[in-house]
Order: sequence, then C-alpha cells, then structure tokens
Amino acid sequence: MATIDLGDIPVRQANELIREYGAKGEDVEVVNPDARHHIGVGLIHDISVRVRGSAGYFCAGLTDGPRFIVDNNVGWGLADNMYQGSIVVGGNAGAIAGVAIRGAEVVVGGNMGSRAGQVMKAGTLCCAGNANFMAGYMMYGGRIIILGQSGERVGEDMTGGDIYVGGAVQSLGSDAVQTDLPADELDAIMEFLDRYELAFTGTFKKIVNAGKKLRYATSESQVRSIPFFTFSGDSEYWSPKIQEDIFIKSQIGRYRIRGYGGARVLPHLSDLAFKSDLTGVGGDADVVSKVDMHTLIGGKNGAQPLDLSMPLMIAPMSYGALSSSTKQAIGLASSMSGIAENTGEGGMSDAQRGAAKQLIFQCLGGRLGWNIHDMLRSDGLEIYISQGAKPGLGGQLMAKKVTKELAEIRGIPAGIDLRSPSRHPDILGADDLVIKIEEFREATGYRLPVSVKMGAGRVHDDIKIAVKDGFDFIELDGMQGSTGAGAAEVLEYVGIPTLSGIMGAVDALDEIGRRDDIEIVLMGGIRDGVDAVKALCLGADAVAMGTATIIAGGCIACMQCHVGQCVTGIATQDPEHEKRYKPTLEAENIHRFLEAVRWQMAALTHALGHSATHQLSREDLVALTPEAAAITRLPYAPEYRDRGGQPAQKAG
Amino acid sequence: MCGIAGILFKGSHPDIAAGRALIDMLDGCQHRGPDSTGFALYRDARPGELRLRFFVGDGDEAVQTVERIKEALAEHQARIIEEEAIGTSQRFTVKFDGDVQAFAYAMENVAKVISIGTSLDIVKDVGSAHDVDDTYRVKSFDGSHGIGHVRLATESDVKPEASHPFWATGFADVAIVHNGQITNYWKMRRRLERRGFQFNTDNDSELIAVYLADKMSQGITLKDALATSIDDMDGTFSFLVSTKDEIGYAKDRLAAKPMIKYENDDLIAIASEEVSLNRLFPGQALNTMEPPPGTYDTWQRST
Repeated sequence: MATIDLGDIPVRQANELIREYGAKGEDVEVVNPDARHHIGVGLIHDISVRVRGSAGYFCAGLTDGPRFIVDNNVGWGLADNMYQGSIVVGGNAGAIAGVAIRGAEVVVGGNMGSRAGQVMKAGTLCCAGNANFMAGYMMYGGRIIILGQSGERVGEDMTGGDIYVGGAVQSLGSDAVQTDLPADELDAIMEFLDRYELAFTGTFKKIVNAGKKLRYATSESQVRSIPFFTFSGDSEYWSPKIQEDIFIKSQIGRYRIRGYGGARVLPHLSDLAFKSDLTGVGGDADVVSKVDMHTLIGGKNGAQPLDLSMPLMIAPMSYGALSSSTKQAIGLASSMSGIAENTGEGGMSDAQRGAAKQLIFQCLGGRLGWNIHDMLRSDGLEIYISQGAKPGLGGQLMAKKVTKELAEIRGIPAGIDLRSPSRHPDILGADDLVIKIEEFREATGYRLPVSVKMGAGRVHDDIKIAVKDGFDFIELDGMQGSTGAGAAEVLEYVGIPTLSGIMGAVDALDEIGRRDDIEIVLMGGIRDGVDAVKALCLGADAVAMGTATIIAGGCIACMQCHVGQCVTGIATQDPEHEKRYKPTLEAENIHRFLEAVRWQMAALTHALGHSATHQLSREDLVALTPEAAAITRLPYAPEYRDRGGQPAQKAG
Repeated sequence: MCGIAGILFKGSHPDIAAGRALIDMLDGCQHRGPDSTGFALYRDARPGELRLRFFVGDGDEAVQTVERIKEALAEHQARIIEEEAIGTSQRFTVKFDGDVQAFAYAMENVAKVISIGTSLDIVKDVGSAHDVDDTYRVKSFDGSHGIGHVRLATESDVKPEASHPFWATGFADVAIVHNGQITNYWKMRRRLERRGFQFNTDNDSELIAVYLADKMSQGITLKDALATSIDDMDGTFSFLVSTKDEIGYAKDRLAAKPMIKYENDDLIAIASEEVSLNRLFPGQALNTMEPPPGTYDTWQRST
C-alpha cells in the first residue's frame, strides 16, 4: 500500500498520484487529510483508498470503481456522481451525501446533512445515524437506508427509488408516501447491513413516490398547428395565435408547453447596421481565404482550448429533445466545418461522440447522463446555470420522448413528464461554485476548458461571478434563444434580449478590468453570418447557433418539438418518426449552411476593412432604432434603414 | 458569497492568539472569497474608554478626514488618549461617557466608521487574510474571541468599506459576518429605519447586525434575538454574531449555506468548512458537528 501525505503535497498532486496507483492496481492510504476538498476525485480504478482523518467537499466524487474508507468526517457532496464502487465514512457527512450516485454503495457511520441522495439514480446510500431534512430530494432511483431518524420532508419531490427509515420520520415530502415493506426488500437491506457490519434491530418504514406529480394530469389536444413564421408575424390583439392559446388553455386548465423560443418582437441584432459602405461586398469569390477566422476558445487558464476554424459553435441541444440521428448529423457537420458541438442536457451517446471532433459535455442540476467516463472523453466541460429561453427553469422533456433507451442513459424512470431540476444540488452560490469547478478540473487533470452556460438575466453580476470563479469561457444566451420544450409564458416574457445580454457582459468585465481574462460565446437568435459579425463587433469572441442549425437540417419550425412526434424525425425519440431522418444527408445540408455563414462572416469582415474577425469592433456599427441605440450606446442612424442596413445614397 | 469563521476561548490564557487562529481559519477557506478579508476582534474593555476605527483613505484626503474626525470628537467631549494611522484607516481610543448611539451617528456623518466599541476592533481590507495581517498586525491580537470573513465581491465593488465584518451601526461592540443573502432586506430595513435607526451601507449583513443589536438594546438576550431572526429574515444565510462577551450563530431553514462547529474544553470554533477548523488542529480527526437547518446558539466567554 502506498502512502500519500497531504501535509506535504497539495490535493492536485495527490490525486494525480492516486490515479497513477489506480492504474497500477495499488491501494493507497492518505494521511493528514485535514478536511481538504476533492480527495480521490476522478478515480476510475478498482483500488482501495483509505483516508486517515476527515475529508472535505466532494470526497470520492466523479469516480467509478474504487473502494474508499474515510476514518472521520466528510464535507458536502460525498461520493458525488459515483458509479460503481463504495465509500464508508466513519464520522458524519455534510449536506448532499450521495448526490447523483449511479450504483455506488455509500455508508455513513454518523449523521448525514440535508438533502442526502439528491438526484441519485441507482445504488445505496446508508446512514447509521440520523439524516437531516429532505433526504431523497428529487431522487430518481436506488435506495436510501436511514437507521436513525429522518428530518423534515423526507422524499421531497422524489421520482423513483426507495427510502427506508428505521427511526422516526419527522414528515414526508411533497408527493412521497409511506407504504408496506415487502419481505424480500427487508432481506436485501439486512444483507447490506451485514456486509457493512451495521447492527439494526428495529423495523423500517418504507417511503416511495406517490405518483401524483410525474405526469401532467391533462394533455394538450392536437390541433392544426400554426407554423412559427406565421405565429411570430405582426402582433394583433386577437390573432389566430391568441385564439389558439385561449382555446387550448380552456381545455387543459394550465400553462402550455411548446418548442421554439419567444415570438415577441424585441430589439435584436437586425436593429443594427454596418457603418461602412458595403456595396462591394460579395464581389470577391475568394474572400474566405483572405480573412483570418481561426478562433481558440477556453485556453486562457491553461486548458487545451477548443480550436475553431471560425468564431462559431453549435449551441447546446440535448439528445432527448433531439433524436440521436439529429445529434449525429449536427456532430458530423460540426466536424466538417471545423467547429465545436455541445451535448446539451442528458448525456453523451457514442454516435454523437464519434461524429463530433470537438464536443462540449454539459452538466445540469439533474446530472442526467453525467459521468466521469464521458467527461474524460469530451473536449470541454460546461456547467449549465440557465438558458435564454427559460432562465431559472430546468429542462422539460415530455413523456412521449422519455423512452426506455433515453431513460436508461439519463438514469431515470421511463415515461414520465421530465421536469429537470432548475438548480444544482451543490451550487447555491458563487462560493460553492468555485469548489465545483475545481472538482471538474481535478477529475480531468486540468486538461479541459470549463465553461458556464447562462441565460441573460442579471448579466452584470453573473458575468463578474463567472470570471472571478475562474471559468474559461461563458456561453451567454439571450431571450431570443429557443428550447425543445418550455412554458409558453416563460418563453415569451422571461429574460432579457441577446443584445442587452452582450452589452451587460462586456460592461461588467470592463468595469472590473477583466475583459481579457475570459471569452464570451454569444447565442440566442443568431440566424446567419450577418448577425454573427454584429455580435462579434459588440464584443463576443464567438457565437453559437442552435435553431439555425436544425432548420438547415430539415426542421420545419412547427413548434411541436415537445410532443415527440416530429414529422421530420428531428425532435422525436420514436423510431418510426426518426427513420425519416437521414443523418449523413442532413449533415451535408447543415455543413453547407455553416459554410455559407463562414462566407458571410468573411465577406463582411473584409468589406469592413479588416483582415481578421477579431479586429471587428463597435466602431463598425450603428443603431437603426432608438431602442437598439439605447441598449448598445451606438450612434442612432435611422438613415441607414432605407437600404437594408446600408446608408442611403445622398441625392445629388 | 464568502466564507466565515469564529472562535471563542473559554479560558483566560489560550495557547494560540485569537488573531492567529482566525488568520489560519480564513486562509483555509480563502477559496470561498479571494477579494477581501476582515476580522472583528475583542479585547478587555477599559472603563470609560471607547475604541473607534474609521476609513480615511490616503494622502491629502486622509489628512483632511482625520482633522474632521478630531474636531468632531472634541465637539462631543471625546478626549483622544491614543491614535494610530494604519492601512487606509485611522484608529482612536477616546475617553467618552455619553450616549454611544447618538455619538456614533454623529461620527458617521463625519467619516466612514468601521467600528465603535469598548472592546471591539474591526479590521478589514481588500486582499487575503495574510495581506490584511501584513498591514494591520492581526496575528498578535490575543483577545478572548473574534469572528472573520473572506469575501467574493459580486454585487458591490472590491473596496475596503464593502468588506466584512459589519459593525451594528450605532451599537457598540456588535459585529457580524454573514454568508448568504437576505431577500426581504428592504422590508426589514424600512421597518428599522421607521424606528430611527440609520444604515451606513446597502449591505444585508449590516441589517442583521442592527436587527440583533436593536433586540439586545431592548433587553432581549442574543440567543432570543437569534431565534426571532430566523423567523424574520427571509433568504439563505449562515451568520456569526459577536458581542463583547459572546459569539452566536444562526442558520436558515433551508441550510443552503454551510457551517460546521467544533467544541472542546478550551474553545468553540465555527466556520463555513471543516478545512478551516482542521487548520487549528493539523493532522487530527475532529469530532465536528454541522448545525441543523433553522438553528441558533450562543457561547459566553468566562469572566
């Protein structure tokens, strides 16, 4: 057994050593841990690790296979996202012990803090003492065994799994219910307790999900849908869209869910124009070769940056919202065009990983499909805080799309109307976030850029937190962003426009003198290379496109993404529908669109007198409307409206 | 957005100086807040004396501010017996036996008061625990108890006056360090303002300090004041409060902000993370305890 002394070396170096010993199959003992964070993070080998003392946050987090013993206490997030393997803690555990585990056996000899087992999917979390409030909060599967008492609201908003409590139950959570304990389950519990040498003589109360909140009680009736292009037309007080909305609500008695983004007219990039005379634009067939568009994103703090052939990425869209074939086509297209793709919520499929040369792996609060192996095979990690289409809310995936296969990847029960948690179990402030980012870096050897995806809301404050907490880049998403499913009111009315988002971000960074310390990737209604160039002028380092990408790949914009019966085979998990989608064919279409965007960016940049996209600046723009001028502080120049964004020719 | 720490020695001759202990604890959780660091430190009161600290800036500004402070002190019959310029602040010890609250409000109008008390000194500035120690000599401070704070500035700027701890404006010897956010801040503040209290900042930590000090000035014990604070304050919070004789904590019902404590025969130590407590006892496994959601407690120093 090898000994590592944390009195002598920092945790980062210790974790590298632990992984080296893991690869050799040699057991490790850690002395003088002194409650330091991230001990053993990212270990994927079946070795035993003995921690002689107390460990801090995320002990044994993001692991698969090892067996840990901690002699004393542990901090928050014990065994975060642990797949196989085990951890036995002699003392107490802080909040969210066993968070997001997917198979591990986690045993706490003392008491557990609040929200133990939050969003766990499989495995066993066992506590010999008492569990504090909301044990089993939003759990999807597995079991929690509490030999002592459980605090308030045990099983709050649980979806699946079982909770067994030996002592008093202070109160049951929302949608949790006490039920009979079958003999075979008791046998299995006793077998587990014997294996970990825990004595228990009382009786257990079994708590499960009551099933009242897993599906919407009513479903929307199918009516002939209005295409988005009509839907978003000039607003009238009593238009067909208002009529449809009222009619459907009169049937379902609740808010509606739909796909796509808000349709209200908001100040946007199209309210800006280029200042120069661009009459010559497009004349040069070879313009792409004359403009340097090469962009590196995420390398400011020493990680391996994403290497983009132009300042463009694919916006995060999930396998789940979209079919596997669609994700494959987008991945292929991103590779052909030399840009990066993003998994969105819900995990990484082999097809997707194989298709995309550069793939960002997104981590959301539900930790659906999140795991160390896919982290290690990604090219960037991303913490989703919120998105432009529905800031402050979690993802939604209606039951029709939560198929057996998809549920398997995400680690949740099939056939539920999935409403993903809107916040992370372990990120309750900028201070916790620092420790979370560090966990990701520890787990992946500081190799990958770690970004944050945030919807534009309190941009001015949020951006400062992002840079201070050390993110490598920001994916900033404005209100014009779309989604696969969201409450219609939220899509229309919550958030702030993309234009205000980028201004707030740049202003905040300038204010604290940190503009050069982080990159901003702007998204939210970016439709083409013209929008993209304007975004770059305003200060974005790159842009991302989601909706434009799927439209290029065959989407007809019917806004029924949430229903799951997409006629084009894009927003569906039904094999009958999906087989209409031809990934290699659509990949070519998407690629051609991306190349058209490239050409637009090159032609405009060149016509504006620059030789590289990073030379674009605010000086290249004017505002066409008073609102856009007020938001951007660009000169208000209505005279540019007449000629499609170009200055009107002076008479005489 | 930050880390907090507090320590109280039960005996009169601790093995480690309170200042040294707080520096170690805050250094242990500096990752939670790299922008600024602060300490509220208590030493034995001397009869008839008040300790005052002000932000005075530097250069000509400092000279003028100190002049104004001295005039105001004289006007209020506060006789200076000791003074020192240190960092961006100026500290005074004065002979004073009038009404502290009226005196404090008057001083607020003259310069930015950091703290006033018979035994309290608040020391805070931008930078790490060690940076602040380098300027303000915290290490050698050997009083009976103290609390400290590391800050990650989010909504307000990185500047000395925005750092913690906060003094309960107008109430001698009461200080607070707070991790979290009080969401009914303005409602609570307006209630207190209607009763004549002044606020020196828009920071929610100052609100908690004034809220508690107000209760105590009505004869309510610190412990009972902490109990009602959990009902009255909305939001996520873990905070530590100190007076000249005791320290206490309160934690919101959602337990959204961490806190952990350790107690032995000699001392009680509380911090955001166990790693801070372990700094006091390297190489030892401590029998710590996480205060449950919605709880509070206080500890008195032996007199």
